[in-house]
Amino acid sequence: MEPAGTGRRWPGPPAPLLLLLLLQVAGPAGALAETLPDARAVGTSASPPSPASVVAPGTTPLEESRLPVFTLDYPHVQIPFEITLWILLASLAKIGFHLYHKLPTIVPESCLLIMVGLLLGGIIFGVDEKSPPAMKTDVFFLYLLPPIVLDAGYFMPTRPFFENIGTIFWYAVVGTLWNSIGIGVSLFGICQIEAFGLSDITLLQNLLFGSLISAVDPVAVLAVFENIHVNEQLYILVFGESLLNDAVTVVLYNLFKSFCQMKTIETVDVFAGIANFFVVGIGGMLIGIFLGFIAAFTTRFTHNIRVIEPLFVFLYSYLSYITAEMFHLSGIMAITTCAMTMNKYVEENVSQKSYTTIKYFMKMLSSVSETLIFIFMGVSTVGKNHEWNWAFVSFTLAFCLVWRALGVFVLTQAINWFRTIPLTFKDQFIIAYGGLRGAICFALVFLLPAAVFPRKKLFITAAIVVIFFTVFILGITIRPLVEFLDVKKANKKQQAVSEEIHSRFFDHVKTGIEDVCGHWGHNFWRDKFKKFDDKYLRKLLIRENQPKSSIVSLYKKLEIKHAIEMAETGLRSAGPSFASLNDCHEEKIRKLTPGEMDEIREILSRNLYQIRQRTLSYNRHNLTADTSERQAKEILIRRRHSLRESIRKDSSLSRERRASMSASRYLSLPKNTKLPEKLQKKRNVSNAGGNSSDSDADAGTTVLNLKPRARRFLPEQFSQKAAQACRMEWKNEVDVEAAQQPCTPAPHRREGATQTPGALRQPLLPHGQLGPGQEGPTTESQRPRPPPRLVRRASEPGGHKARWGSERP
Amino acid sequence: MGAAQSASEEIRELVGKTGFSSDQIEQLRRRFKQLSGDQPTIRKEHFNNVPDLELNPIRSKIIRAFFDNRNLRKGPSGLADEINFEDFLTIMAYFQPIDITMDEEQVQLCRKEKLRFLFHMYDSDSDGRITLEEYRNVVEELLSGNPHIEKDSARSIADGAMMEAASVCMGQMEPDQVYEGITFDDFLKIWQGIDIETKMHVRFLNMETMALCH
Repeated sequence: MEPAGTGRRWPGPPAPLLLLLLLQVAGPAGALAETLPDARAVGTSASPPSPASVVAPGTTPLEESRLPVFTLDYPHVQIPFEITLWILLASLAKIGFHLYHKLPTIVPESCLLIMVGLLLGGIIFGVDEKSPPAMKTDVFFLYLLPPIVLDAGYFMPTRPFFENIGTIFWYAVVGTLWNSIGIGVSLFGICQIEAFGLSDITLLQNLLFGSLISAVDPVAVLAVFENIHVNEQLYILVFGESLLNDAVTVVLYNLFKSFCQMKTIETVDVFAGIANFFVVGIGGMLIGIFLGFIAAFTTRFTHNIRVIEPLFVFLYSYLSYITAEMFHLSGIMAITTCAMTMNKYVEENVSQKSYTTIKYFMKMLSSVSETLIFIFMGVSTVGKNHEWNWAFVSFTLAFCLVWRALGVFVLTQAINWFRTIPLTFKDQFIIAYGGLRGAICFALVFLLPAAVFPRKKLFITAAIVVIFFTVFILGITIRPLVEFLDVKKANKKQQAVSEEIHSRFFDHVKTGIEDVCGHWGHNFWRDKFKKFDDKYLRKLLIRENQPKSSIVSLYKKLEIKHAIEMAETGLRSAGPSFASLNDCHEEKIRKLTPGEMDEIREILSRNLYQIRQRTLSYNRHNLTADTSERQAKEILIRRRHSLRESIRKDSSLSRERRASMSASRYLSLPKNTKLPEKLQKKRNVSNAGGNSSDSDADAGTTVLNLKPRARRFLPEQFSQKAAQACRMEWKNEVDVEAAQQPCTPAPHRREGATQTPGALRQPLLPHGQLGPGQEGPTTESQRPRPPPRLVRRASEPGGHKARWGSERP
Repeated sequence: MGAAQSASEEIRELVGKTGFSSDQIEQLRRRFKQLSGDQPTIRKEHFNNVPDLELNPIRSKIIRAFFDNRNLRKGPSGLADEINFEDFLTIMAYFQPIDITMDEEQVQLCRKEKLRFLFHMYDSDSDGRITLEEYRNVVEELLSGNPHIEKDSARSIADGAMMEAASVCMGQMEPDQVYEGITFDDFLKIWQGIDIETKMHVRFLNMETMALCH
């Protein structure tokens, strides 16, 4: 059943797919069907006889049936069975697409899925002669949409989002209003023309149609934009708009629908509509924030039962969504704000594993939902609920595009005045182009009450045409267009510690200058919020309440991630990196003379290898392709790299080597030891150590007790002076120099500096050394993340102390 | 009359030199007066009057930047004791937003200037390189607001960052090479991915001069 690797295969192997189809067709209408009659397969359905037809185990009163040896009871499992089959089909289709590598880059997945849906729909229609199961709007709104929005909201890069929040709101609210009213009114104008035969469509109906068709769809935007990697700002503008315009859509839709059904409309109703908008939007947000805080608070206490932590995240988010839906508020906004609020605090409270689980499960759910939505769109298109009218359809399409372009242009002119960095024409073009319509519009149009809308089928057709056009044509052409226009692409660099430092530094500089100027800028509010956050919120919501610096968090995260990777690749060593952050010992180590330093350098250069720069980049969806071999090499390099770390020729970084019991002497340099001799010994030990695997095991355990042992061994060295060098914990490292590194206390900084003029030398590795390759804090690959941005991830609070001090194997 | 004329001439001159508009210069002058207590020059102590600056972890560096001769374009190193209004404007000019009418080359120049400002903040001894010690100093200051972090953490972080910088800037190094420190060119390389020209700006017109004593 495995679709064998190479070459193009259209979606998946044909045989299982046909089997699925057969079962689908043969079975009675699924739970997802709204139009099929409820023909339970008790052998009375009009469908062609099939192997799946059920033998009712019931007995007729007239005769007694014998005990059946083998029975088939389809209705019993019908609903879950069909749901499972649909999801399976969707996932198989996805596998099929990715078999041919280039395909998803040329054609966005959404298009392919719709085509599969169309195909399926066609088959079902052809076989059954009735409309295939259309997607029930309830199922869509309650089950399929929330995971996608949750995923988007949880991983939303908050900084650029809030930096652009004014613009996003501007586009979402005013833009959607502009579009709906524009499209509605112009369509009404068209309908007035007698020749088209549309005069029975009233203004209100047109306005309603306009409101539902003008909403930019987050699902479609996500599906298309994730492949083209435009720069973050553009992405966040389009995507933020698509999320936040839900409030406007909900309000307008309900408003016009009620107006259509009301006899008279009074001004108070209009005002009620406007008030409703605020209620819907703000209410949604408040619900989201409230539940987000509760979720964060709950996770504060879950340290004893880590297994259900991910559950809370999902439950609370979903709760926020359906609570908002209960009150007819904007569910999308609720779940988005809930996710964004939760994200910050939950990250710090949950364990590493829970975090990974949350992330992967979320991605999985959203992926499945997205796939199902698109397939269903395809399936539901085929059928009998269409009415074609050239004029209406084509004008709808034209107006959608025109009004979108106009709207973006006009609105941007207005908002550019307030922005410090105005949006260029290229940006505007992409924003307008990226206004894709999708499943929400689709679902809403199906939801129109047929009684009020005699021409509902016309609307459906028009909506489908617009959706297909935007998804297919715009979706496929946006990629070459982006390249043609040379739009700035996303910055794919991984988050490095130095970048974090620079960003932080820069933030503070900017804030400082703003303070000096007396200017309340963005940074002012951000700082205020941060202070409030630190003072109250974090104390309340986070378990281990240490105010964390993002730099340190990032650093720790990288370290832990590195450690996990090392462990995962089967190496014995899962050592933490080169610094024990939490309880670092201060010690004073004798300074080395320049002559000694040179000697060290020489010895090292003769014996060690060079380091190579490594880059590992993770993509949002997949890990790097060639795993094992490259990884092995990388690991080797990383080990060397880490060994190299220990060699610092500048003033003060002393590493601690912990290789075996005997090496304890080398922890610090006793005053009387002659250096070269020590080096000699160390070298021998190192060579010996390298050859035996025992030292690995040894080192593995020794690190456990590093701190206490170190304390025991180094009381005389223990100095209370500030600015001591940090010891590097090394497992397996029996290497040479480390302890000889001079650790110059701060007052002697200058001297140290001159001694080894700020030199940071690339360390070289001993031949055949099998140390734990500890990754330096260089750009470590993060967990896959959507738009690249600063991400703070929590490291395991509980595990922290364990890790830094003593590594538990 | 003469005073007014010379004042407006002065403003015109400043407009020409620094690139600010006359409105902005007016605003900044008011602010300058507030800071300096109506005196013609500002000294370091005057910056204590800015209340929020107390909470800024790198306040000493920021204040220093105002007096840095390299930023004031008065010399290759050293600190001035006091700055007048024109110097104040010179420093502020580093934070002007980039004009969209500028062409690519000018944008690059602007970017370089801004980055140079930042570089000078890192490079406290004016030797043209950010050495490990200076880097450490920066990180320590950044983390100084956080009582739970020990000095050694800052050290190791700085070391790590330095290693990254080394690998970015030097790539593969020969066994005998030493990495002296981050030069300005290396600094440019590091910041290559980051959009400094769009981020490093302050809106100079929408200023509200806050009361200096709270």
